[in-house]
Amino acid sequence: MSVSSSVLNYDLKNAISKNRLLGLWRLMHGFQWKYIIATVSIGFAAVAKTCTYLLLRYFVDNAFTEGGTSINLPLIALGFILLAGAEGGFTFLSGRFAAQTAEGVTRRLRNYLFDHIQHLSFTYHSQTDTGELIQRSTSDVDALRRFYADQAIGAGRIFLLFVVNFVALLSLNVTLGLVSVIIVPLMFYVSILFFRRISKAYESYQEQEATLSTTLQENLTGVRVVKAFARQQFEMDKFERDNFEKFNRGKKLLTMHSLFWPISDTLCGFQMVGGFLLASIMAVNGQITVGTYLAYVGLVVWIIFPIRGLGRMIVQMSTGMVSYNRVMEIIRQEREPLDEGDYTPAAGTLRGDLEFQNVSFAYEDNPTQKVLDDITFACQRGQVVALLGSTGSGKTSLVNLLPRFYDYTAGSLLLDGVELRRYTRRFLRSQIGIVEQEPFLFSRTIRENITYGVGREVSEEEIVAAAQAAAVHDVILTFPQAYNTLVGEKGVTLSGGQKQRVAIARTILKNPRILILDDSTSSVDTETEGEIRQALQSLMQDRTTFVIAHRIQSIMNADLILVMDDGRIVQRGRHEDLLAQDGIYRQIFNIQTRIEDELEKEIASVSE
Amino acid sequence: MSVNNYFEEEEFSAQFNGKTLRRILGLTAPHWKWVAGFLISILIVSGLDAVFTYISKLVIDQGILAADRARIYELLGMYAGLLVVQALFVLCFIYLVGILGERIRYDLRQKMFNHLQNLSLSYFSRTPVGWIMSRVTSDSDRVADLVTWGILDSTWAVMNILTSMIFMFVINWKLALIVLIILPILLVIAVEFRKRILVQFRNVRKFNSKITGAYNENITGVRVVKALGREGENMREFGGLTQEMYRSGYRAAWLSALFLPTVQLVSAFAVGAVIWYGGLQAQLGGISAGGIHAFVSYITFMMWPIQDLARVYAEIQHAIASAERMFSLIDTVPEVADRENAADPGSIYGDIEFDHVSFWYEDESQPVLKDFSLKVKRGETIALVGPTGGGKTTTVNLLARFYEPRSGAIRIGGQDYTSFSLHSIQSRIGIVLQTPHLFSGTIRENLRYGRLDSTDAEIEEAARLVGAHDFIMKYPKGYDEPVGESGNLLSVGQKQLISLARAVLARPEIFIMDEATSSVDTLTEALIQRGMQAIMQKCTSFVVAHRLSTIKRADRILVIEDGHISEMGSHNELLRLRGKYYQLYTRQFREQMTQTLDVFQSSPAQEALPAD
Repeated sequence: MSVSSSVLNYDLKNAISKNRLLGLWRLMHGFQWKYIIATVSIGFAAVAKTCTYLLLRYFVDNAFTEGGTSINLPLIALGFILLAGAEGGFTFLSGRFAAQTAEGVTRRLRNYLFDHIQHLSFTYHSQTDTGELIQRSTSDVDALRRFYADQAIGAGRIFLLFVVNFVALLSLNVTLGLVSVIIVPLMFYVSILFFRRISKAYESYQEQEATLSTTLQENLTGVRVVKAFARQQFEMDKFERDNFEKFNRGKKLLTMHSLFWPISDTLCGFQMVGGFLLASIMAVNGQITVGTYLAYVGLVVWIIFPIRGLGRMIVQMSTGMVSYNRVMEIIRQEREPLDEGDYTPAAGTLRGDLEFQNVSFAYEDNPTQKVLDDITFACQRGQVVALLGSTGSGKTSLVNLLPRFYDYTAGSLLLDGVELRRYTRRFLRSQIGIVEQEPFLFSRTIRENITYGVGREVSEEEIVAAAQAAAVHDVILTFPQAYNTLVGEKGVTLSGGQKQRVAIARTILKNPRILILDDSTSSVDTETEGEIRQALQSLMQDRTTFVIAHRIQSIMNADLILVMDDGRIVQRGRHEDLLAQDGIYRQIFNIQTRIEDELEKEIASVSE
Repeated sequence: MSVNNYFEEEEFSAQFNGKTLRRILGLTAPHWKWVAGFLISILIVSGLDAVFTYISKLVIDQGILAADRARIYELLGMYAGLLVVQALFVLCFIYLVGILGERIRYDLRQKMFNHLQNLSLSYFSRTPVGWIMSRVTSDSDRVADLVTWGILDSTWAVMNILTSMIFMFVINWKLALIVLIILPILLVIAVEFRKRILVQFRNVRKFNSKITGAYNENITGVRVVKALGREGENMREFGGLTQEMYRSGYRAAWLSALFLPTVQLVSAFAVGAVIWYGGLQAQLGGISAGGIHAFVSYITFMMWPIQDLARVYAEIQHAIASAERMFSLIDTVPEVADRENAADPGSIYGDIEFDHVSFWYEDESQPVLKDFSLKVKRGETIALVGPTGGGKTTTVNLLARFYEPRSGAIRIGGQDYTSFSLHSIQSRIGIVLQTPHLFSGTIRENLRYGRLDSTDAEIEEAARLVGAHDFIMKYPKGYDEPVGESGNLLSVGQKQLISLARAVLARPEIFIMDEATSSVDTLTEALIQRGMQAIMQKCTSFVVAHRLSTIKRADRILVIEDGHISEMGSHNELLRLRGKYYQLYTRQFREQMTQTLDVFQSSPAQEALPAD
């Protein structure tokens, strides 16, 4: 069962093809022989089954005619068992190899997609709907699995069963053989026609199921609204309507089934009776033996009825092909090369001095719209650079250049005097710590969230020390299972401030040279605000820090404040310098002093 | 952690529960005619199957071997005729059993849904939405399948085996005995296989949902993954998951692939024995060629009913577990319900009194409200402020009778409100939640939720009153614009305005508003304020307040902390106290002004501080 790593790590980009069947074939790379064996085995199983009936013919012809004592009964009985064993053995073999192929191919596909998606660029992710990506990675992959496991092999089975038995029938008697398959083309056509319609009816049934689920979910999440307006009856009626519609669609689906099966039963049955009639008359006339008749009656069943299922297989296979396209659309995307770059400084020698020289940036799909325009400034290790500006002014885009989430399109950006593009993305990201406004936490334990991405073994003491430094240790201890508490739906829900502090603890452990902080404390109450500020202060020491600022208080001590507007730096300097200038900065500052004045006035007005 | 265990998806019932099984079967009682219909149909269908084989035998023995053409025509004519009869009954049973299945599914879902409408808020706060959803959707499916297709399949299987056995005994009882010995062996093998296959498929489902979860997390958190450079380790973890998935998927397929061949092989022993013994008998005239044919056919096709029986048997346990969970939902008694003789007071616009009210959710040792007393004059506007978890929301939840006091009483117009019917209270209360909840549908439908018989003109009037009309008209379809699932196509501010207009339409006598903490733009904020004022004029209002203007406009402000009122009075009085309210207010003031005056916002500083 061991699969060689060359098969496991096969680059699925090779499976991209305009011809979907060819693509599906290539997707099986490394398993193709197994799949062929699986198919051939089915053929052998079919042959064994056919032989059973031929053996029966031999037995009847000899046992029931005069002088038939010459046959060896135990040997014939053993023959039946051996043939069943062969049929079973080959069937099992086929199932086994088909399962290995289907499961192996999907496993590789899942792994590849997972890795591929996490290596796709920021641009791709910001343009793609999350739900759509998940849908393709799960449902469509499963549709492909079914294609390999059931549909393709199932269609092959029916086809081979038909061919082998048909040849056997012809060998019994050519006329009889030909007469017995008159219905087959019609049956095939009818079943395709029918299953096309039924798969549509089934889809519409499933759609209504989804509608019903939405209604239910909205009712459950909006339970307070329902109760507040006393709309229970209204909700019951609404659900009833959707529920009834589903009932109706189910009824339609079933009506189709209840028509198809008896109709096809009758068609197949009449074909069989017709065959029996011809064969029995031939037997009476002595054209065929009784044994041949018996074999014929047994074989003909395996040729007519399976054809009904072929239609279903073929219709279902077409959905597998649609899924192939949807999955390949993801695989076709280019990965972000993490290791592209020729310069890696010796471990621990990075200083973190940065110099922006006329840096500009525009997104690929809109190259004329400059998101960053002619940015020039420099900062050294240990310094704090604050970015101030409205949403869309370019603050976030500027810091996104540092870990090379995006590459600047003009100018030069030097880290320790070396062009940033020469560093690999992997290295840069290991040296940069980001603390977002409301960081994304994973549905894992608090401990795992703190050590997430640290990339080395971390001792319990270190974790606790980091949590303490981030002022979140005490909070964690109040959770039911302390550090082992799950975050999210199945565990505790953290407030924005708590999430931020977990992210700070994580960053402390990561110990990056460059720090990017999104400073927003709006969601935090006053007492924790002070603690966070302190935690941040200690974190910022001896690192190059970028602060995306929303308020002046937090950046008064910054070494360099950049006021940004529309992708440009409109003001720069230290707090005192900027206050002395006429501009946006002073305006903001004035407003804040004005607020304090107003507040005092208001309080004075009531406290006479 | 017992709560969590309770919500774990248990696939199997701990023991075979006869009572539950009886209750499941009881679901079909109202539809007994349908059940009788499909049972009769399937009995005929499966009986005919055995008859067909027997006719085949007769064709050989009485037709071919006797060289009697007329007999052949007669027998095959009968065969054809019976085929048509069988087809008709096939049509009947598929139609009857399928539609009955849909019907029972429909009934079960409706029953659960209707019951859910009556359950108290406490039930929903301790039961995850996903858990309830699975009960209503997948569990009802599984149970409905058992009482329809399950009954059908097992009846078919038993009947099929039975009639085949009868015919075999008729043809040659000694040979039939051989088959009878093999039968239980086949059944046991089939059942054991089925059970194991089911376990594997359960594992597959489990890993599948883990894999979906992993995709979900990695895709939604992709920026963090990249920033922390955790691609390698994530891939390793995921690889472990797909490895497990491969194992159980492969094992399930492997077992399934082994299943039929095994059954076939065992039945081949029966065929072998029949051939051997039959061959000996043939010389003595004990069995005919047709008889041999019949035996081989009966044995070959017996594996299908056996497979079906095993499948149904294995699924019964799952269905019982499903049913137990489903029944536990249906049997839940609402904690807040109408008392006997609950009356409709006609109006709840009266003085409201909280008289020594205490309340806790789950744990008596953790009360949320402690001995809480408050008197409110009708028409008053009360602002509730204070830290999260202090008891503000609980207070309004009690007032709306989503919960009832554990001790003490709430009186409206001097009467204990538990003597009123729930509907009489809740139909006269207007509530606007912190996170506005809309339903899929159009804007108009969402507004009409406030009062079902309101005219389009009234709806528009309400929308104008809260200032929602303008933005609504900007949509191409105006009031008929769909809002998307849970209103997701609208912005938070717009959703708030619509839920306000909805409350306006309800013409409430008590108005409860949980103000949103998240900021909306200045214009929307002003509109919301205007809308609130419009409603509050005509009713007694309770506002869980975050906005300065709302707080200042209230007749009375309550600072609620640790389950009791720590400060109460007007804005001026409380500010002078220089206590909790003072602190809260100054912080709120700074924060809100910073926001309002933000130079970077599109409609910036020129707007002065609020006038009042």
